[in-house]
Amino acid sequence: MNTIITPNFRGWRALIVHRQSENVDRLVRQLSRLGMDCEQVWPKLVQLSDADVVFFDGDNGFDGLFPWPEGHAPVPMVALLGSEAPGRLEWALRQGVSAHLLKPIGSGGVFSTLVIAVSNFTQQQMLAHEIAKLKTKARLRPKVVRAILSVMQSHSLDEDAAYAFIRSEAMQRRQSVEDLCESDFFRPSNPRGQTRVKN
Amino acid sequence: MTVNIPIGLLFSVSGTDKRIGIDALDGALMALEEVNADPSFDFQLKPVIRDPGDSLSLFHKFAEEMMGELGCRQVIGTVTSSSRKEVIPVVEKHDALLWYCCPYEGFESCENVIYIGSTPSLHMVPLFEHVIPRFGANAYIAGSNYIWGWETSRVARELITACNGSVIGDRFIPLGSEDIEHLIEEIEAKRPDFVLNNLIGNSSYAFFDAYHKLGQRKSAFLPENTPIVSCNIAECEIDSIGVQALTGHLTTAVYFENQSNAENKEMIGAVRARYGQNRRCSNYLVSNYTAIKMLAAAIRDTGSDKIADVRPNLLARHFQTPLGPLKIDNLTNHAALRPGVGRFDGENGFEIVAAADELVAADPYFVDFDALDFARAISANGASKVQHLKVVK
Repeated sequence: MNTIITPNFRGWRALIVHRQSENVDRLVRQLSRLGMDCEQVWPKLVQLSDADVVFFDGDNGFDGLFPWPEGHAPVPMVALLGSEAPGRLEWALRQGVSAHLLKPIGSGGVFSTLVIAVSNFTQQQMLAHEIAKLKTKARLRPKVVRAILSVMQSHSLDEDAAYAFIRSEAMQRRQSVEDLCESDFFRPSNPRGQTRVKN
Repeated sequence: MTVNIPIGLLFSVSGTDKRIGIDALDGALMALEEVNADPSFDFQLKPVIRDPGDSLSLFHKFAEEMMGELGCRQVIGTVTSSSRKEVIPVVEKHDALLWYCCPYEGFESCENVIYIGSTPSLHMVPLFEHVIPRFGANAYIAGSNYIWGWETSRVARELITACNGSVIGDRFIPLGSEDIEHLIEEIEAKRPDFVLNNLIGNSSYAFFDAYHKLGQRKSAFLPENTPIVSCNIAECEIDSIGVQALTGHLTTAVYFENQSNAENKEMIGAVRARYGQNRRCSNYLVSNYTAIKMLAAAIRDTGSDKIADVRPNLLARHFQTPLGPLKIDNLTNHAALRPGVGRFDGENGFEIVAAADELVAADPYFVDFDALDFARAISANGASKVQHLKVVK
């Protein structure tokens, strides 16, 4: 069994984008219990400053509420929902929510929502990063194919051996195969790229 | 005309946790009678008693009856976390107050609950501060298969890992099960430094008995060599466990019968007068007794049993109680208490082998706690006081 570390939000800052209300008071009270500092803003969030998480009103939120392109929040976003009207849910979803809390907000639920939001956000960030990497790889695939063909020809190697050669060159240079193939390295004019494989 | 105030007393006095339920109810009833006999209170507390046994749905039903039909604005009760979770929506719905007086796993802070029990920062932390420097950090954990067993084990694992120890076995058994022989075999084979007992009720009693027999057979498993340590064993369970089987083992609590404060001595006298000379006092009995006394004082002060009046009054006070000095934290609604560790010393009850000398604030979300600081303090100071605990002035 793994050791699960107790989530700790001591010293975190929350921005609450919602008009002042009892719901906000209760949320602030619960977040203070978790050791967090809160700032409430409405109707417009001008800048994120150093907030670690944003709670926002899903019922009255509007386009342009946040100072970043839609769906590209730099921190976890938690929607505060009273209305479950599909139009409102769709708007909240477009903001890129990591979790939500139902109004009326009570003392129960805030901690678990925060833990889930942070975990979802981290996972989304990781996936986005992974996807960007894979997209670059896919984009450069034709260059890799061209380099393999070039090495096969210049070194009289079969396909697998040519790829192995390219990979080992890339590893020696601490570059990805794609980046190396995108450079001029395997052009016939580069003598280093024409060196025979040692084995 | 005397005002009658209905007070809900919701305890399982039958079923798996009945030892604790009976003790808790006895404590509450005794305090209630003392209040009613005291002319300085110009009201009478009328107990509304319900026994849900082992049925979770009855907790919800009885809570609804107390608050919805019988006008209770104050309910003392529940022992297990699962039963408390059944009652919380009902107290929230009726804006009533639940007094919860048992150790539990924390991660809760409800506006409609006053918590007099300890959370891991007040039980697991002081227990390990005492145990790890003396016995080592390799633990075997036995727990009942529900939230208390799971979460208490998780916290233990986090602390043990931070101390470079290891959990060399971690087993959960169904509530009420006495089928524990496979745990004993595993403990014998794995030789932990100590055994953390997160079992409840009959499972726990059967475990102590079987472990005692193991110790008789192999001295490595005598309590002075490899103790069982618990966060929830109290004086009310001594007879169920058996004096011999419990002797030498360690438990942490916010109250021990042997503590010397005057309020405790006085209360013990009253308990023996009412329930017999052999009656022992446990933190369950005393915490629930204390809860009623605190509530009565707040009602007398404010002339109301409404949560809106009672709660601010409670939060503003410092109490002197049989548990010791006590303060309810404004932010968390949890009592600051003085946790200690007791070693069971046969007929003399628990000998207090470690105790906080000041009130320690509850930290139900472990906000002001860092497992690595805890480990550093343990290895630097050995058995001496660890500095992270937030002291209440």
